[in-house]
Amino acid sequence: MVKCHDSIIDVKLFFFRTVKGLLPALLGVGFFLLMGAASLAALLRYSELHSWLGYMQQPYLWRVVRFSLWQALLSSGISLLIAIPVASCLIHRQFYGRSALLQLFSVSMVVPTIVAILGLVVVYGRTGWLNQLFGVQIPLYGLVGILLAHVFFNMPLAVRLLLQGYDLIPSGQWRQASQLGFSRWAAFRWIEWHYMKKVLPGAFVLIFMLCFSSFAVVLSLGGGPKYSTLEVAIYQALRFDFDLNKASFLALLQVSICTLFAVIVYRIAPINRQDVSLLAVKSYLLKDSFWAKSADYLALLCAFVLVIPPFLAIFDPIFSPVFFKTLQSVALWNAVLVSLQIAIPAALVSLLLGVCFGVLARFCMARQYFAFLPNKIEHLGNMILMVPGLVIATGLFLTLRDFGWGLQSSYWIVVWVNAVMALPFVLRALMPVMYQQERRFRNVYLSLGIQSWSRWCLEWPLIRPSVAQALGYALLLSLGDMGVIALFGSQGLVSLPLYLFQLIGSYRLEEGACVAVVLISLCLILFYCSSRFIGGVTARVKN
Amino acid sequence: MLKINLQYDWENFHANYCVEISPGVTTLLGGSGEGKSTLLHLLGGFLDGRGELFFNEESLLSLPPYERPISTLFQSDNLFPQLTVWQNVAIGLSPSLSLSGEQKTRIQWALEKTQLVDKKDRYPQALSGGQAQRVAIARALVRKKPILLLDEPFSALDPALREEMLYLVNNVTLELGLTTLLVSHLPQEASLVGGRVILIEHGRVTAYEPVSVLSQIEPHPLFSRYLGMPSSGLPSAEGANSSTI
Repeated sequence: MVKCHDSIIDVKLFFFRTVKGLLPALLGVGFFLLMGAASLAALLRYSELHSWLGYMQQPYLWRVVRFSLWQALLSSGISLLIAIPVASCLIHRQFYGRSALLQLFSVSMVVPTIVAILGLVVVYGRTGWLNQLFGVQIPLYGLVGILLAHVFFNMPLAVRLLLQGYDLIPSGQWRQASQLGFSRWAAFRWIEWHYMKKVLPGAFVLIFMLCFSSFAVVLSLGGGPKYSTLEVAIYQALRFDFDLNKASFLALLQVSICTLFAVIVYRIAPINRQDVSLLAVKSYLLKDSFWAKSADYLALLCAFVLVIPPFLAIFDPIFSPVFFKTLQSVALWNAVLVSLQIAIPAALVSLLLGVCFGVLARFCMARQYFAFLPNKIEHLGNMILMVPGLVIATGLFLTLRDFGWGLQSSYWIVVWVNAVMALPFVLRALMPVMYQQERRFRNVYLSLGIQSWSRWCLEWPLIRPSVAQALGYALLLSLGDMGVIALFGSQGLVSLPLYLFQLIGSYRLEEGACVAVVLISLCLILFYCSSRFIGGVTARVKN
Repeated sequence: MLKINLQYDWENFHANYCVEISPGVTTLLGGSGEGKSTLLHLLGGFLDGRGELFFNEESLLSLPPYERPISTLFQSDNLFPQLTVWQNVAIGLSPSLSLSGEQKTRIQWALEKTQLVDKKDRYPQALSGGQAQRVAIARALVRKKPILLLDEPFSALDPALREEMLYLVNNVTLELGLTTLLVSHLPQEASLVGGRVILIEHGRVTAYEPVSVLSQIEPHPLFSRYLGMPSSGLPSAEGANSSTI
């Protein structure tokens, strides 16, 4: 009896101690949930369910849905179609500039959307390079422009995802292929395709969702109501009609379509014939042929033509006199200030949230009753990818309005929503290393009684590169955000991307290019500071 | 006749193989890390070595792996998990899997020889370790390459099965007149397959002898250290060493 009593006290004590240690993390995650729930509740409170049936019958709505699906399907299809031969070529050929191209691919994913749009307009626009050099004019505003932009962003992403699939191929298979005299086509058919099939559905879903909920691209290149996506429709409902009812209806529709699509594609994904070989990947010689060479050249040419010109175009107007005039304008530097005021707090909040999620998830990791939780916690953080940022922002705005905060809350809403939107990327950078620390050293920490702060200090040198990476991502995303700010931007709250958007809208491309250059420099400087001062130089060497 | 005179350097490992191997089974013995597998990788063309490599007066060194007259069985990863047993064998004849009638007969013959006919539609995951390696042997059979390299392919099998496989290798070698090199860390395997043995130490061929040296009551001085037996009386390691040179 006494013993039993003791053990209960022990359990209570243990519980109390761990909860005390976890309290900050719990608070963080709790706050995240509370904010989410509050905005959802606010949105639902303003929606009238009976009128939703009426929306369902509007042909305009279905046209928007159809177009959203169609352009997303085309964008992801084209991106993957180009990415497959490019990835295969990058694996098999060693050529000058190969690693530079890969670097560029990783950069093109974090280039602020609006900057890339400017690049595309300079290249393909009415007075663009394409027209000047070859006299070819393409209808940029509309489906073509949207596809060009989406392929520009997502083809490199697809290549990188496919290359991850190549990592799964055991080197023994290449060795066999080499000895058996496989041609490139045979190797692709029997080996590469098999492993690509494993990553393709995931890559397709990811790119499809990114394009489906694409906002800035469609807003600037859509060119009219004919080419509108759900996300833009939500924006219009909020910004121009201030129709909360309609907005929440559209938002729900968007979330359900995304979810449905994800479920279907994961269902039909092929079975994983997993095999393990831990040999380091080394490239083996395969039979070469004229056709293999031509296919590779063609694939590379495609990649070059699509990705490189818009990059160069951004820097084209640097030498024009307008450039320096713009540099001296007050509006530009105000926008820089606003951007910094948004990005830095947003990134810090995002990082803080990420750490809270990480700490909580790994605490649950190998604990009997909580072992199912880490995945759920991560999903919770990632769920935000499915929910339009505009919707969260609106919900939050309504909640705060109930507390008597009017438009002066916009700044905080922009910061919070940016932080939350960056969370999935922060988690992706942070979680693996946090899990790894837990898995390797849990027993050491437990037996020595190292907890919370002292543990954090011990781990810091090992995790700081990942922390820097997470913060860097969050900074870049918040700096480049062109979603929430479009909704809440006002006279005093114009960030660099919004300013750039306004300039592109009024065809002041040269000034726009100047702003783009400033924005990119700002991104680079902040990213550099983050990895230099937080990542540290020595830490990277150690890892 | 396989004439080897190959050098290969990797960090602190400097290999220099020099030996002439006659047809039949030859077992490569040596401790781990002494460079047995490295030799096979050099022969297969998976590593770039310097020197000379001749097979029946033809130089192989400048040939890519797929043009060398060689089939290799590795310890693992011999089969493509995405292909059936039949396809895994057939791919040895034609990487595009388009086969003539005569080639199909040959596959059938190889599958019979390795007792795999009833397994031909299975995927490698559904096979036991021994069956999987038999598929790899069947592929080597259809390829009809005169040199067969085996890199400890049976080390994960239980003793009875291993014995069975070694008999198979031996039969095939004799029947087709192959030059077979078998890497092993078990001297018994060498005794089982017969032929000759090569001892490899520090990336060098230190002995090339008939397999009978292993079963001598008075062990061959070169092999005594590897086999862990005193060569005569109580010699020191240095004693054994000096007698090798």
